[in-house]
Amino acid sequence: MWLMTSKLTVPCIPLDGSISYEDWLKGRRYRRELGNRVAPGVIRRQRSSSDRRLKKLFQGERGLPFTPTEKL
Amino acid sequence: MGSPKVQAALADISAEQDPTLKCAKLASLCSALWAEHGGELVVVGGSAIEILTDGAYTSGDLDLCHTAAALPLPTQRQIMGLLQAKGGPRNWQVAGMYLDLLGPVESLARTPYRRIEGPYGRFLLMKPEDLLVERVFISHYSGGNEEARDCAKKLIAVILGGALAVDWNEVRRLANLPEYRNLSQCAALVKDVANDLEVDSPLHSA
Repeated sequence: MWLMTSKLTVPCIPLDGSISYEDWLKGRRYRRELGNRVAPGVIRRQRSSSDRRLKKLFQGERGLPFTPTEKL
Repeated sequence: MGSPKVQAALADISAEQDPTLKCAKLASLCSALWAEHGGELVVVGGSAIEILTDGAYTSGDLDLCHTAAALPLPTQRQIMGLLQAKGGPRNWQVAGMYLDLLGPVESLARTPYRRIEGPYGRFLLMKPEDLLVERVFISHYSGGNEEARDCAKKLIAVILGGALAVDWNEVRRLANLPEYRNLSQCAALVKDVANDLEVDSPLHSA
């Protein structure tokens, strides 16, 4: 299933069947932009029971930094 | 998958600096190796929501459950050894992130797991119908949880934007189950997001 937006054709993650990795990659920016219209850009949890191990592995952070939307 | 292929995949995943891609690639590799032994894994929780939404939500860990019977522990250890993983038996460090091998997957939805043909093999994602109703439930739990609410809103936005297919009848059924009883809360949040996106809401509580 594909969607026509104003600028591009975006593949949909389907209910049945599967989506190719390439199509999933193509939809990344559109999905990110949709979410950014309704909630803050980064919504990673501030803390969790895994903090100790995460911060040890990621130099005080809880994970790798997210790729900016414009680079998706 | 032979050891050279696994090592090449590990090198790729270790070098990956995008947290969402790193999760997806590791899920693909693990799922392929599990499948070779008759096992089936599902990406669950925040990791699944991240891959379904690109919502900048995930942390540096990937949560995986199994669908049918778990692989025997020696087989799991053999696979994790091939992946040069440290730790175990549930919590592993592999390719520069954490991997948590949890128990059997818990899903109330009758819809299929979503499927991505990943770079190393197909992998399964928790059903967004379950994820949506559960996140709305958590967002109202114990006085309110803003992080869960934002997470649910992003998931709804991706669905309403047409980038992720769901069965709204199934969402309605789940939200009416005794485990949740939160249809009015789900409908209200879907309406909020629909208003933000200037589209019609497909979920009504009446």
